[in-house]
Amino acid sequence: MYDILQALINGTFGWGWPDWLIYLISSLVVVTIILVVAPLQMLFFTYYERRVIARMQDRIGPNRVGPEGIWQPIADGVKMFTKEDIVPEAADRIVHFLAPCVVVAPTILMFAVVPWGPGMTPVDLPTSLLFFFAVSSISAVGLMMAGWASNNKFSLLGAMRAVAQMVSYEIPAVLSLIAIVMIVGSLSINSIIEYQAGLLISNRDLPGIPDLGLGWFVFTPVGFVAFIAFFIAALAEGERTPFDIPEADSEIVAGYMTEYSGMKFGLFYLAQYVLNFLLCAITAILFFGGWQGPGVNWLYAQAITPTNPDGNGLFNVLAGALGVFYFLLKTYIFFFVMVWLRGAFPRLRIDQLMDFGWKFLIPLTLANLFSAAVWVAFTRWGAAEGMLITVGWSPVLRWLAAFIITLAINIGVYLWLTQVYAASQAERRRVELEELSATL
Amino acid sequence: MMEPPFEIEIPRGRVIEVQRDDSRVRRGGGLLRGMAVIWKHWKESFRLNRSYSQIHGTFTIQYPEEKPRIPEAYRNMPILLYDDETGHELCTSCFQCERICPPQVIHMTQAKDPATGKPVPAVAEFIIEYDACMSCGFCAEVCPFDAIKMDHEFELSTDDHAQLTVHKAQLNRPISYYASIAPTMWAEVRESALKKLQGNIRRRPDVIGIAPHLTERIAARRAELAAQAAAPSPAAEPASPPAPSAPTEARKLTPEEKAAKLAAIRAAKAAQAGDGVTPSAEGGTPAEAPPADDKAARLAAIRAANAAKKAAATDAAPAATGEPTTPTPADDKAARLAAIRAANAAKRKQAADSVDTEEGS
Repeated sequence: MYDILQALINGTFGWGWPDWLIYLISSLVVVTIILVVAPLQMLFFTYYERRVIARMQDRIGPNRVGPEGIWQPIADGVKMFTKEDIVPEAADRIVHFLAPCVVVAPTILMFAVVPWGPGMTPVDLPTSLLFFFAVSSISAVGLMMAGWASNNKFSLLGAMRAVAQMVSYEIPAVLSLIAIVMIVGSLSINSIIEYQAGLLISNRDLPGIPDLGLGWFVFTPVGFVAFIAFFIAALAEGERTPFDIPEADSEIVAGYMTEYSGMKFGLFYLAQYVLNFLLCAITAILFFGGWQGPGVNWLYAQAITPTNPDGNGLFNVLAGALGVFYFLLKTYIFFFVMVWLRGAFPRLRIDQLMDFGWKFLIPLTLANLFSAAVWVAFTRWGAAEGMLITVGWSPVLRWLAAFIITLAINIGVYLWLTQVYAASQAERRRVELEELSATL
Repeated sequence: MMEPPFEIEIPRGRVIEVQRDDSRVRRGGGLLRGMAVIWKHWKESFRLNRSYSQIHGTFTIQYPEEKPRIPEAYRNMPILLYDDETGHELCTSCFQCERICPPQVIHMTQAKDPATGKPVPAVAEFIIEYDACMSCGFCAEVCPFDAIKMDHEFELSTDDHAQLTVHKAQLNRPISYYASIAPTMWAEVRESALKKLQGNIRRRPDVIGIAPHLTERIAARRAELAAQAAAPSPAAEPASPPAPSAPTEARKLTPEEKAAKLAAIRAAKAAQAGDGVTPSAEGGTPAEAPPADDKAARLAAIRAANAAKKAAATDAAPAATGEPTTPTPADDKAARLAAIRAANAAKRKQAADSVDTEEGS
């Protein structure tokens, strides 16, 4: 944004404004766009989810307000705004008021580092991935505040569950990301996306293949396992259905949201859907190339960029539009998968959730980390790093060897882990039943 | 690894561990299978499904725009039927429905012949409290005349509570309506219902029993009755005393007046029969009648005559025929009672006479 404004104001018009003013204006514009886009995504997601889940249940879903019910989220928003705001008498008023803000703020902050298209990153931090996940953990504090301040046992129970779940599942999420970070060698989301150009195999490993923007990590064994593990962890972090334990309606009313009404409840809802959008988006970015897709890089190569200032401005728009299209398409497909899982699976018990996270996902992602190391060693390292086997191999052979070895490791670990996990679960059931018989 | 199923006794019964035959480790395959089921539902849901034997496809009926086809035996609230051709209501006010109704929301008054005061097989007013009706359908089942049936109309919501106390005017539906919503169910009972109705119509004087909103039908029936009265056949009216009074005048009389007049006539007749001065048509020559009966009949006749006279006397403006136009209710009742008594006595005497003559011969 700064580049565009700089080029427009000082270049095209030649007004010669100072840098700080242009920075200020560009920041304000970016912040405005984010603050408009985030709630709009949330509105669309509520509608999208209700329509999709309705179809999965052989229904039609909201179809009364506007054509095909497209204005339903607006009507819901109006309803939320006009509702009475109730604070329980025994509640801690200040914390009760602050909690929704603390929950919403980080989800909006996370938008700052999400690249929408080529050259369309609001803030291009060199450690944007770290920023993203560090900020996303803050909302756990807000959930705990909400649960504690409500002075309600359901709220507290829900908040406890939410925090336990989030803390547990951040570990496999981050471990699966580390595998990607190892391969890319950077914490910047933009460089992770750029790494996924090419065709199936990244063109860094195999120079000379056409750049179709399809070198996605999900096509490699390491990336695939990381994707599965990350997506499951994302479901738990976004409190989506097999892991919607913190707000299990049938057990604890609405969890930490029980004592909230009106727009405060709406803010929790907003935070949740924005977080879901961001988790889908980051999944698309890390494993499915984000805005990468056939044609984007070719268009962007002819646009005005810092490296190519003589490009055509039209290609900026075209590349941006196509990139945003790919990015949103992938994101919405992942949200569809989230809804699909919601339609298919029942809710887990809290102990099953913990078991699965700690005893299955974390070992799997740790093994995947080892696979990632093997991948890097085979494709990147040479004699200088002490990797003597691959000296003199062609890039294709290196790539093939890395692919086969990591595939073997990952499949082996997966089969072994499922076996062990199933046996431990069966044993656990058995012990529980025996305890039951012993107490009687 | 086949282990015996785990089983323990607990105070409330037995806990058994279900051992599913598939004990393999599925490694996420079960999850994928579950997702495949949902995928198929999602994919097929874009097709409309109106066949309930299919489990895929959208079943939703967009209610206010399209309405479901309601099965014939569906029952919501009771309605009353009337015949399309004659306009006669099928209900005879037999009180069966009122008696069986579990929440007791059916109320009715029987129609009375204004001339005689006798009950007529028709209903004067019929009320069902829809707000308390439980739609059990007992009333429709118990009705011997198939007059009360269960409607298919279910959009009854209203902001006016009193509107849910439904009177006969709103309950009446033509038979053709019921035949359209439940053709086979109506076809089953049609013949017997219409036959019973024909029998009942014959016992309904004047315009009693015709659905009140069918004004032209009532007018037509009135005209028919007037035509009959204007051309009196001797067979129809053997006792001519009331005949001289013009038919228009007779029709103008209120029911009470009519009753009083009839009572007087009957009383006079009974007295005549009892005296034996004029031989009655069926009795032949009166033999030695039992004096007690005779006396009673005569007394009743006198009383009736007196009552009628008194009723006439109380009237300030006697009509041309000398009949009271506005009798007091008490007098009227007394006259009617006397007439009934007199008639009974006369009948009894006649019966005795006939027995006597049989014995004598």
